[in-house]
Amino acid sequence: MEIIIEEISRGQKLISRHKFAKSEINIGRGYHNDIILSDPHVCADHICLSFNGDMWTVNDIDSVNGSFLDETKDKAHGHQLKSGDIITLGKSQVRIIFPHHPVPESIAIGPIENLLNVAKHPVFIAINVLVFASIIASLHYINIPKEVHLTQLLEPTIKLLILAVTWPLFVSLISHLMKNDARVLTQISVTFLSLNVLLLGDFIETFVNFNTSSQMPLRYLVLIFPVAVLFTLFWLNTFIGFHTSAKRRYITAAALTLLLVGGSFANSQNKKQKQDFVKKPSYDSTIMSPTFQFSNTETVDKFVKDSDRLFDQVKEEAKKKPDNE
Amino acid sequence: MKFIFSTLLILASCVSYAQEQAETIFKQYAPSLYQIRLIDKASGEKSSIGSGFQITANGLIATNYHVISGYARHPEKYLLEYLDSQGQKSTLSLESVDVTNDLALVKRELNEDNTFFEIAPHAPIKGEELYSLGNPNDLGMIVVPGTYNGLKADSFSDRIHFTGSVNSGMSGGPVVNKEAQVVGINVATSGNQIGWLVPHDKLRALYQDYLDAPPTSIEEQMKQQLYANQKDLVSNLLQSNWELKQLGSAKVPVVDVPFVKCWGESNADKTEDKVLIVVANCALNEDTYVSSKFYTGTLDMEYLYLKSKSLSPTKFYQYVQARIKSAGPSNDVSKDDATEFECQHDLISAKENKISNKAIFCTRAYKDYDDLFDVVYLGVSVDRYEEALISHFALAGVSQESAQAFMAKFMEAVSWK
Repeated sequence: MEIIIEEISRGQKLISRHKFAKSEINIGRGYHNDIILSDPHVCADHICLSFNGDMWTVNDIDSVNGSFLDETKDKAHGHQLKSGDIITLGKSQVRIIFPHHPVPESIAIGPIENLLNVAKHPVFIAINVLVFASIIASLHYINIPKEVHLTQLLEPTIKLLILAVTWPLFVSLISHLMKNDARVLTQISVTFLSLNVLLLGDFIETFVNFNTSSQMPLRYLVLIFPVAVLFTLFWLNTFIGFHTSAKRRYITAAALTLLLVGGSFANSQNKKQKQDFVKKPSYDSTIMSPTFQFSNTETVDKFVKDSDRLFDQVKEEAKKKPDNE
Repeated sequence: MKFIFSTLLILASCVSYAQEQAETIFKQYAPSLYQIRLIDKASGEKSSIGSGFQITANGLIATNYHVISGYARHPEKYLLEYLDSQGQKSTLSLESVDVTNDLALVKRELNEDNTFFEIAPHAPIKGEELYSLGNPNDLGMIVVPGTYNGLKADSFSDRIHFTGSVNSGMSGGPVVNKEAQVVGINVATSGNQIGWLVPHDKLRALYQDYLDAPPTSIEEQMKQQLYANQKDLVSNLLQSNWELKQLGSAKVPVVDVPFVKCWGESNADKTEDKVLIVVANCALNEDTYVSSKFYTGTLDMEYLYLKSKSLSPTKFYQYVQARIKSAGPSNDVSKDDATEFECQHDLISAKENKISNKAIFCTRAYKDYDDLFDVVYLGVSVDRYEEALISHFALAGVSQESAQAFMAKFMEAVSWK
């Protein structure tokens, strides 16, 4: 009967796979073996698997460190093999599989994979990086109220580009270390695409803040946008770099988003708390040139009337007694 | 030479006469002069000192509100004490205050009648010789001669300009004429021989009110005074002429009352600057002291006209935005006195539709005096590509009604030419 022997790592990742059609297989460090393990804790002749026409049996050839079943930690000597058994030899492991062993259902290449194939195209990446760089440069440009030379913009832009590229490189490195396909280009591509979408979101937020009054109830919705983009980016990072279940992918992406958003939220709360009493008002000072004004203006009377609510609010606040009294 | 000599002689005789007069007054009235002190209960040490003087035979003593403000605000934290000319100490009770005129009446227990200062029946004449009494820097009671120079012309609350040194610790001490009648109370100094006094009629009014009906609660009394004062100030401002002054190509309102002073500045001489900036600001140069970290009764108005010389509109607006990031109130308060600010904003057009502003309005409420607020308004024009007008005001310790009336008038008054 045919037998498949997989050499696997401690993390159960496949190192090599062999199929044999004979009834006796030798595993050890010696070069005469059928499976040659380079682990120094494995003997030259470590174990021998033999088929008696019905069953495969493990025979330990008096090895120094012995051989054990991974599942039960029992000695493997004399064990009758089942498909999927893992045997530990020294510090190495092999998995025994018989030809009838079931395999999971095949996964169809989804639309996301197809999109990612487009994303890793160098032209697409180049365009994205270029768009990102030019947005960063122009943001710097409009914030300097003087004549600006191109070289002045180059330095901050390059710095930010380097910073931006660290993330996909980091993710690729991790996925490479975990024996997955690194797919560096795809990671870079989705990262820059997300950053560009974030910058677009930033503009939308500014635009909405400028055009809506503080009375508008839904204006905080724009804050959800960057969170959604971040989640998508992390989800894609996991999708591209790691072969895990859909559930784990969602959990990872959610955890990373929470870490980043929650972290910055906690940071701002913390800063607020350190300042025991804020004497200056904090308000939205967003203004844009008339080109971006789309909403209708209100009357002075309406604005003054609206302030009733504000007065009521602080009056309520003033009535609250401090906790420590 | 002869002439100079004789003038010197006359001067010398004047000085010695004044000296003599001062000595008589001091000797006669020393028992009616007190050092007023606040003792911090926890540490048992003096936390502030000032002067005071007896105005009735039965022990009513007048002083400055700011001398006893700690006690008025937190009676549980302090002891109110006097130290008389014999070095005797005892406690005082707080009877009445006038927070806007910085006066207070305190009382000591007296078994027998004591000499006291009489309040002058009329104001002194300009140039009249006056004597300021008090206890500067805890050095003991002294007399300082000086001259009456009339009322401060451009002040909202009345103040006597006294030429003579009023030093810290003399606050609350009387200023008397040759007949030893009180014409004012030491309150502040602007350095070099410029002293400020509260006129005697304010004290007379406070005393009269006290006789008619002593206040039941000092806190309630202060609240009413602050409320009345802001009402008086704001209605005075609203009724006065709001002169429209040109600022660049904008028109901005300048309140035409003597107690609001305006200043201007621009960078017109700096041709290399990318934005022309013209600034005008007007402010009420006084405030009402409530406690050491709580001032109120202030007014600030500021206008900034900006014209872009070569910046693109987006860049120009970014520049303007950077200038409006940190508007704030014009008075100081502490956590115990007021809430934090809450704000609102919207895009607003004035009635005649001459200007579109992004308007920002913030307010905080006073914790001990309900219906008194600090407010901050900021308007920025958003309807021109190369020009912008920032208009701002801050009012402290005003009612909602006053604040809203002022805001409405202010917002309608600012416009393009």
